[in-house]
Amino acid sequence: MRYRLEVNGTLRDLDVPRGTTLLEALRDDLGLVAARYGCGRGQCGACFVLADGRAVTSCLMSVEQAAAHRIVTVEGLASGGELAAIQSAFVEEDAMQCGYCTSGMLISAAALLAEQPSPTDDEIRDALAPNLCRCGVQLRAIRAVKRAAEQL
Amino acid sequence: MIAQPNESPRLEERIRLEPDGRVTVFSGKVEFGQGIRTAFAKIVAAGLGITVDRVTVVLGDTAQVPYDRGTFGSRSIAQDGEILRRAAALARRLIAEGRPLEGPIPEDVPVGPPAPDAGPRRVEAPEIVTGRARFVADARLPGMLRGAIARPPVRGARPAAVDDRAARAMAGVVAVVRDGDLIGVVAKRQAQAVAAAQALEIEWTVPPAADLDTVSIPINEDAATLAALAGAATRVAATYAMPYISNAPIGPSAAVADVRTDEATVYAGTQRPFGLRDELAAVLGLPVDAVRVIPLMPSGTYGRNSLGDVAVEAARLSKACGRPILLQWSREEEFAHGPARPACALDIEAGTDADGRFVAWRYDEHTNAHGYGGTLDPRQAAFTSGRNAVPPYVVPHLAVTLHIEPSPLRTASFRSLAAAENVFAIESVVDEIAAARGEDPLELRLRNTRDPRLRAVLEAVAERSEWRERPRGDGRGLGLACTLYAHGTYIAQVAEVTVAPNGRVRLGRFWCAIDPGRVIDPNGVRNQCEGAIVQSASWTLLEELKQRDGRVATTGWDTYPIATFRDVPSEIDIELMGAPGEPPTGVGEPPGVPVAAAIANAVFAACGARVRELPITADRVRAARR
Repeated sequence: MRYRLEVNGTLRDLDVPRGTTLLEALRDDLGLVAARYGCGRGQCGACFVLADGRAVTSCLMSVEQAAAHRIVTVEGLASGGELAAIQSAFVEEDAMQCGYCTSGMLISAAALLAEQPSPTDDEIRDALAPNLCRCGVQLRAIRAVKRAAEQL
Repeated sequence: MIAQPNESPRLEERIRLEPDGRVTVFSGKVEFGQGIRTAFAKIVAAGLGITVDRVTVVLGDTAQVPYDRGTFGSRSIAQDGEILRRAAALARRLIAEGRPLEGPIPEDVPVGPPAPDAGPRRVEAPEIVTGRARFVADARLPGMLRGAIARPPVRGARPAAVDDRAARAMAGVVAVVRDGDLIGVVAKRQAQAVAAAQALEIEWTVPPAADLDTVSIPINEDAATLAALAGAATRVAATYAMPYISNAPIGPSAAVADVRTDEATVYAGTQRPFGLRDELAAVLGLPVDAVRVIPLMPSGTYGRNSLGDVAVEAARLSKACGRPILLQWSREEEFAHGPARPACALDIEAGTDADGRFVAWRYDEHTNAHGYGGTLDPRQAAFTSGRNAVPPYVVPHLAVTLHIEPSPLRTASFRSLAAAENVFAIESVVDEIAAARGEDPLELRLRNTRDPRLRAVLEAVAERSEWRERPRGDGRGLGLACTLYAHGTYIAQVAEVTVAPNGRVRLGRFWCAIDPGRVIDPNGVRNQCEGAIVQSASWTLLEELKQRDGRVATTGWDTYPIATFRDVPSEIDIELMGAPGEPPTGVGEPPGVPVAAAIANAVFAACGARVRELPITADRVRAARR
């Protein structure tokens, strides 16, 4: 089936089997691997992307559904070679170990900050609670979101 | 290529000066989020007097780096960090003298001033936050296909009959592979491979469980122990238990294999690139020199990647179909077929005299084999399955026995091996004795400790947490635990918890004092401490891999909750105490070791519930509270 998606501000044409998930299409057809497979059930947040500014699980969204939204992945957060504030903040706070879940956290944080530019600790914890992290960098990620909020 | 580990390391195998003035560093250790790439870059940059951005670190590529046994035991900085420090000092001298960078690396290079804590916090960070980082599952080779494996219902089951007609007819399917007991599908797309593997109709034969014996290994013998215990003024006997848990990486295991007629290249998230190379060579029937293992970042791995399972499966599929294969396990496969941390029952009895000095201590540790080889060799097992079974206290009569029991589940390494279970038992029983004597558990520990470094971390964590002054009660409690980890890292921790009327435990602040010798990268050490504390708190309070007779019932995160952003401590306070003159001893594992006991002891302090079985659920707290 042929589909046209808007990803990171660019229209992309796809020819994939019906029912293909947005996650598989991003990773295997569009070469955008920042959204990652973690569970395939919408339970871990590793595959989060922005759909019209909202964090969604790309493992549960079909390409067909995605075609109705503006999709942004972590590859599209920076603009003009400049890191977004949330990306710089994660670097500066070293809010990562293995980095596998980082993309999903960045997406949740970007969606949060767009809606609530100066979130409280509890709001940050709630917004990032869908993002599982086994290495245990949650406290650093909270600091990074606050740092980014201060710079916005 | 060096055949023996770290034997007479040579400079030309470790540091290369590039024509453009950059420096390339080689190590057989691998990075999986613990920060050694950054630490190695900082060590070499400091030694050469250059900036970190001029250093490239090559890790684990078997075609480029000297032999290494593997990345485990928190030994990377102690082993390769030290070699690189000496190598950089030699290289700097040779560069100044205008001589080539070659020759044996001398043993005795004096330690210079500590490197300033400058430069990037993590060298991979810019790639990770922009999505440019390439994890194993992101590797893409020309002509690459996707694999999926048909899993048996239980470990050891064998396929008796396979009907693959439906699977072969499905869209995108290129091959159904049957290689001994391995049955898999190769397809053009990931979803196609998974769907076709599920469409295979397989009759499995489940062989009767092998009747294996428990192997008992004495770690410390003293025939007078039981008699001395009988005469103790205060004596506590208790049994503690921990369930199987999963490594639970956020990204399930993955590998990419490109197996040709006479050579193979495998991209893997392995902790043992050379061990995996040898295993692949044997499976594929190739000479070891024809197999190249290139480590790529896996999702964080906490021991389970000491096994080569997914990489070997990918290689077998690739060999069978003659194409490069990306194999990524599903979440369900990772829980059900990934190696688990062993379960254990810890039977301990300790006693003091009237002055609160230990007189005797008996400990029987019942566990499954820890470590990737699951060794039963007594000397090695004492260091893996029996790690930290001996208490760090002065005990005149000590009898410690390790009992390794057969497991229906595959088990392997998990961060700190058996140290976590042993220290949970040891530091819990110490707390129980202090309670029985009606005294401060800090004073009991200090009275029974001569080691000045252990005393120092205990005093430090007590001071930072205001242990002696901080009010308790109303469901709020503080718990203390400490250890001298296997390789020499000292650590003491205080957990603060609140226990709700329904028994639910919430973490408050957490304090940690750690003495790992010389600290190379303070931020890296702090990040490891924080992560290890959060991870251990997660399995202390939440985790259990549900299984019966080796059939794992856990399939997803809904039935295997781990700590989320809502569950982690409100704050983690860390004091780094390593003296610059002491050799570095490692930080990846030790900070997670005392956590379970610190939390269990805090729960007791908060509400009087002594929970001896993990995880510490609300049900267990209510049952123990009375």
